[in-house]
Amino acid sequence: MIEREHTVVTINGTEYLGESGQNLLELINSTGESVPAICYNESLGPIQTCDTCIVQVNGELIRACGQTIEAGMSVQTQLPHVHKSQKEALDRILEKHELYCTVCDYNNGSCEIHNTMAEFGLEHQSRPFKPTSYDRDDSGSFYRYDPDQCILCGRCVEVCQDVQVNETLTIDWERQEPRVIWDNDVPMDQSSCVNCGQCSTVCPCNAMMETGMEGEAGFLTNQKPGILKSMIELTKKVETGYGPLFAVSDTEAEMRESRINKTKTVCTYCGVGCSFDVWTKDRKVLKVEPHPESPANGISTCVKGKFGWDYVNSEERLQKPLLRRDDHFEEVEWEEALSYVAKRMNEVKAEKGADHLGFISSSKATNEESYLMQKLARQVIGTNNIDNCSRYCQTPATKGLFRTVGHGGDSGSIDDIASAELVITIGSNTAESHPVLASRIKRSQKLFGQQLYVFDLRKHEMAKRANAFFQPKSGTDLVWLSAVTKYILDQGWEDQAFLSDWVNGFGEYRESLEPFTMDYAAKMTGIEVEELKKIAEEVATSESVAVCWAMGVTQHMRGSDTSTAISNLLLITGNYGKPGTGAYPLRGHNNVQGCSDFGSMPNFYPGYEKTTDEKVRKKYEKAWGVDLPQGTGKDNHQMIEAIHDGELSAMYVLGEDTGIVDANINYVTDAFEKLDLFIVQDLFLTKTAEYADVVLPASPSLEKDGTFTNTERRIQRLYKALDPLEGTKPDWVILQEVAKFMDFEWGYTHPSEIMSEAAGLATMFAGVSYERLEGYKSLQWPVQEDGTDEPLLFTEGFPFEDKKARLFPLDFELQYDTDEEYDLHVNNGRLLEHFHEGNMTYKSEGITRKTPNAFIEVSEELARDRGIKEGAEVKLISRAGEATGVVTVTDRVKGKEIFLPLNDNGKSAVNFLTDNRVDKDTNTPAYKEIAVKMKVLKKKGKSPIPPNNHRRGNPVPQISVKVQDKWKREDYQFPGSQVKR
Amino acid sequence: MGKPITGIKKYSVTREEQLENDFSEVKEAVADNKEAILKGIQLLKGLEEGGTLDTAYAFTNAKNEALTRFVEEISKDQYTPLLENLPSLIFLIGELDVKGIRELTTRLNQGIEEMEHVSPDDKTNVLDIAKALKDPNINRSLTLLLGFLRGMGRQ
Repeated sequence: MIEREHTVVTINGTEYLGESGQNLLELINSTGESVPAICYNESLGPIQTCDTCIVQVNGELIRACGQTIEAGMSVQTQLPHVHKSQKEALDRILEKHELYCTVCDYNNGSCEIHNTMAEFGLEHQSRPFKPTSYDRDDSGSFYRYDPDQCILCGRCVEVCQDVQVNETLTIDWERQEPRVIWDNDVPMDQSSCVNCGQCSTVCPCNAMMETGMEGEAGFLTNQKPGILKSMIELTKKVETGYGPLFAVSDTEAEMRESRINKTKTVCTYCGVGCSFDVWTKDRKVLKVEPHPESPANGISTCVKGKFGWDYVNSEERLQKPLLRRDDHFEEVEWEEALSYVAKRMNEVKAEKGADHLGFISSSKATNEESYLMQKLARQVIGTNNIDNCSRYCQTPATKGLFRTVGHGGDSGSIDDIASAELVITIGSNTAESHPVLASRIKRSQKLFGQQLYVFDLRKHEMAKRANAFFQPKSGTDLVWLSAVTKYILDQGWEDQAFLSDWVNGFGEYRESLEPFTMDYAAKMTGIEVEELKKIAEEVATSESVAVCWAMGVTQHMRGSDTSTAISNLLLITGNYGKPGTGAYPLRGHNNVQGCSDFGSMPNFYPGYEKTTDEKVRKKYEKAWGVDLPQGTGKDNHQMIEAIHDGELSAMYVLGEDTGIVDANINYVTDAFEKLDLFIVQDLFLTKTAEYADVVLPASPSLEKDGTFTNTERRIQRLYKALDPLEGTKPDWVILQEVAKFMDFEWGYTHPSEIMSEAAGLATMFAGVSYERLEGYKSLQWPVQEDGTDEPLLFTEGFPFEDKKARLFPLDFELQYDTDEEYDLHVNNGRLLEHFHEGNMTYKSEGITRKTPNAFIEVSEELARDRGIKEGAEVKLISRAGEATGVVTVTDRVKGKEIFLPLNDNGKSAVNFLTDNRVDKDTNTPAYKEIAVKMKVLKKKGKSPIPPNNHRRGNPVPQISVKVQDKWKREDYQFPGSQVKR
Repeated sequence: MGKPITGIKKYSVTREEQLENDFSEVKEAVADNKEAILKGIQLLKGLEEGGTLDTAYAFTNAKNEALTRFVEEISKDQYTPLLENLPSLIFLIGELDVKGIRELTTRLNQGIEEMEHVSPDDKTNVLDIAKALKDPNINRSLTLLLGFLRGMGRQ
């Protein structure tokens, strides 16, 4: 038992017990005593700019937020001179901020200036409001800045510098009229701002506000600027004294409640699993408001989650089922489409057998929908041919973890990554692919001394920030990992106690490492021996190590083996089961984890229970009342092959643009053309849907209830924020109707019933229920029947019979390389602002304005060599196909490496280049192994990156808002020293 | 089986079908909310009888225009004292002793009534005043007035 240290503090004569090291303001707030505090925000900590929380401590007037509690401290919050100092500070704020609440779009009950003034009982403005000489900055697409309402509390700067760590915002305290500035004082649109929107989230008032709110939130705010100005004047004249002003504006704020809905949802982009309230008015999305209690993200968001919701109301949404009629689609009623689907599936099954049908689930859809899709395949059709897009990305990681530690998911939580002493990322462009998670690492590294080691081909943001950055030759991570592990063992640096208590298979594994000498590794990877030794030492001596990896590891022919090598290294060094340690395969889609978890896999029922296990099958046969298929089904890759071989005749694809995201798309789309029946369920007429016989219009996440599981294995609920767009239906409803047309009456009235069925069958989710997931509550699997979950895995052993992990021997052979003809290596990956093939994000005008299309990154050396410049047009030709695009010359890539973002579905789509090579263990396409030759079409031209793209900005890193510079100003006097005792 | 296609033949609903659909949707809503709709009709009837409906209709149509004009007009300097007085006036009303005022008003009215009986030619000399002091009504009035004068002069 650890005794917690406690400290006794007297506040207004009453003794309180605080925690050692606690902030005084935090303690005061927890006691029910009240002091005004505007710049303080629990998620940000003390900033000390607003001076409103002045209290008397042992006779001295000080800012409570700037004080750590000490034993015996005597604190007064209510003495007249304390009150007077606080009032002085509040008066200063009102010199900068005009209160016209009734006609302000921020008057929604949560304005912290309004609430603080009202609570303090401030009746009159002592000094007149003084506007600045600056104009509003309306240049951005997503938020705007009004210097005349800004109180310079610096929260936006704090969040930008130290939470998001994009380091765009500062306050220039030295100029006559200080203000928030972007980079070196450029308009926000021209800056390095990535539009994560967190400044507008933490702004206590309407200074930094989402543009979606403007003229929309209030009943009287949608006025022409002139009228608005007059109304502000009028409001001030009529509402003399703040009492009446607050009464009127509070009433108006209450009225807003009745027409603005605030609904909790979970982001539908990457695997971080940010949750937040979405504010809607009719079908309009006004803004996204994260909460401090959002378990994965706190107050953080990225541009997609905060602002990328335009696709929901896109004109291009399908609103009627489509049936293929010769050379065109025809819109039909649901009844007709569903009976066609049922009839044709029955026919294929009757003529050719159940295994002639294949099903692909969506990692965008909910857990419940994944469950129903596999139920449809297994129960209604009778085939195990069901898979999902994790086959394209993270199945190798899952495989590597199953082999060694028994659970195919992140070992811990994002909090563990943030608290690790050493974070290693391998093949992960974290800052763009998992931006909110990356920010946690960036913050820990910037402020708390975390070490960051980055292994990647490309010098992306994390690489630039890293304490050490290595560029191993493509596909050779397994080699340096194994060599480093071997060296640690050779030096006797392994965690012997951990190995003897918790790990099996040491002897054989030790032997398998023999070939992985330092010299061999240096030769294969290009990392020098000395550096490899340093890496080994750092890993071995760090208290806690967390390894994050992504597609740069998995999308290779040895993706599973490399993932296994990571896990082996962590086992040898005892980095499992302790806070701050573990393996973190960063999941790409919002529900790529859950889609596999809930059974959309050819070899697993929900909860990774094997289809080949008799007992498991019997369990499902009993529950579903049918005989179920034995053996395993075909995965995505095998399905496409089977179509070419005439062994698969029908496919049902749910929410997946297979024709763009699968490797070697020419081969894939050729397969589609050969199908007898092709059913696609999606929001849009995607490239894949163009090949379909039937297209069923579905509803996106905002229009339904359900759950998603993020990369931390965290199951979170999303609530329906909007009704399904007319003519569309949520996927779970469609699947249920398809089943009904095939004479299976499932009878679900709400997704909660689907979850309770799944939880009743799959041991892993035994304790999962909608009640336990209410609001912002979440559960990290495995969840026992009593609701106990496991934020950190393996604290009491590994899920094998003897509770011991297994070291897994590996070998290596380099199978891919460039050659003389195909001399360039194409790497591919994500961009921050676009998601995947772009079906959703290209619908956002604001995003597209700044990043209109994908581009080809070419190194300076290669550009010189081929005589091309920025804006050149090139054709890349691989053995499988060709893609064309516009070049940007950058130091993010080096030598003969080329980078092509995967976010394009036109001629630049990277999968025209990829071929049929796959990971040998999981059939995951080796997307990262493409050798191409380059043909120059045009030598130079307009840069594909517009001038207002954040990549062109110039960040200004500093720690916090530098309040000391404010205190140094000649016109600054501490309110506490101004009041007379 | 199929080459990629993008052409979509839109599902066209005839005007009759559309009417039919809309009508059945409305019919359903009416059935679900019968009570509220009947009360709503009563409310409309009430508004119509009082002539309020016309005014409300006209105002709704001209809402933005009206607001603009109103705000522009009222924002002129000449109204500033009025606007600033408005809240004070409201506070003043709050402070007045309405009960006392009502009593006083009744008395004033009685006085005026009595006054009307007095012929314009009547004259009063000092002796009449001394005599009048003995009249309990006159005496009470004077005493009240003296009290009022005392209160008004108080600092």
